[in-house]
Amino acid sequence: MRYRDTGNVHLDFHGAVNTTVNYIVKNFGIEALHEIFFRTGRDVYKSIRENLSRGDYSELVEHWAYYFDREKGKYRIIREKDRVILHVDECPAVRQVKRLGLDLSPHFCDQTEHVNRGMCHNTGFEMETVKTGECSCIQTLRRTKHDTK
Amino acid sequence: MIPSDHFVRFYNEVFKFLEDQGEEHLRNYWLEISRHQELHCLELFKTKGLKGMVEYWTHIKDEENCDMTIHEFADHVEFEMNKCPSLSKVLDNDATPMERYCDHCAGWCMPLIKKTGFFPVFDIVSRKEPRCKFMVFKDREDAEKAEKKAVLPAK
Repeated sequence: MRYRDTGNVHLDFHGAVNTTVNYIVKNFGIEALHEIFFRTGRDVYKSIRENLSRGDYSELVEHWAYYFDREKGKYRIIREKDRVILHVDECPAVRQVKRLGLDLSPHFCDQTEHVNRGMCHNTGFEMETVKTGECSCIQTLRRTKHDTK
Repeated sequence: MIPSDHFVRFYNEVFKFLEDQGEEHLRNYWLEISRHQELHCLELFKTKGLKGMVEYWTHIKDEENCDMTIHEFADHVEFEMNKCPSLSKVLDNDATPMERYCDHCAGWCMPLIKKTGFFPVFDIVSRKEPRCKFMVFKDREDAEKAEKKAVLPAK
């Protein structure tokens, strides 16, 4: 895995993401926010993306487990024949924003969908993200329909 | 979810986007972050002064795994960052680091400190190395003297 942080975790950064999301949407629009998240997914997570291009999703799954464990999130990863599903039952990012007493931005969870889109860009995989509650979602990784790999 | 451990790499992408829009947009965003940080710091700094700043950055040093030395004096305090975890992560990154990444720290800290009646001086030292020195003075003249000695003072 390309990044493997250790030591303490500064969860309050999720509050700064919430502030940033509101700021970018207010001043530059929702498309700008999505583009920044997309670039984050595509470029920061280049290693995950390149592995996906080779048909290998193991780094992505390791990344999910590693960071949800570090932040004490509640989640399940289910591997099926043609897809991998991440069930987020309690998202630590949303939980922390609420603990800080901030109003959760309606666009806060866009980070997940659009970072995922960046990670999957031109890889032959796609990720569907469905919110199931304020603090929960289901992310499904599968090969794109036209992919022949 | 972008893990909180990776926030600074997202921050770096935000800075690059804003820099492309123009310098004033970058500065305005740092001011927005400064207002956000008031939630964590303003009351503490106003009520406890330099001691409150030491308290806050001692907490940050621990939680963000900073290699930082804090020097306390009667008239000022110095936060000497020996290895900044924020710039270290941005440099250890598959995305391109923003050239002036370090400037964001002064960009949010200095307006907040000034609101509490103290005088901040930020010596970035180098934008390529994860080390810097942040000083806060009770007296304006002392701050001005320190700023003249800074290797790369933040504005």
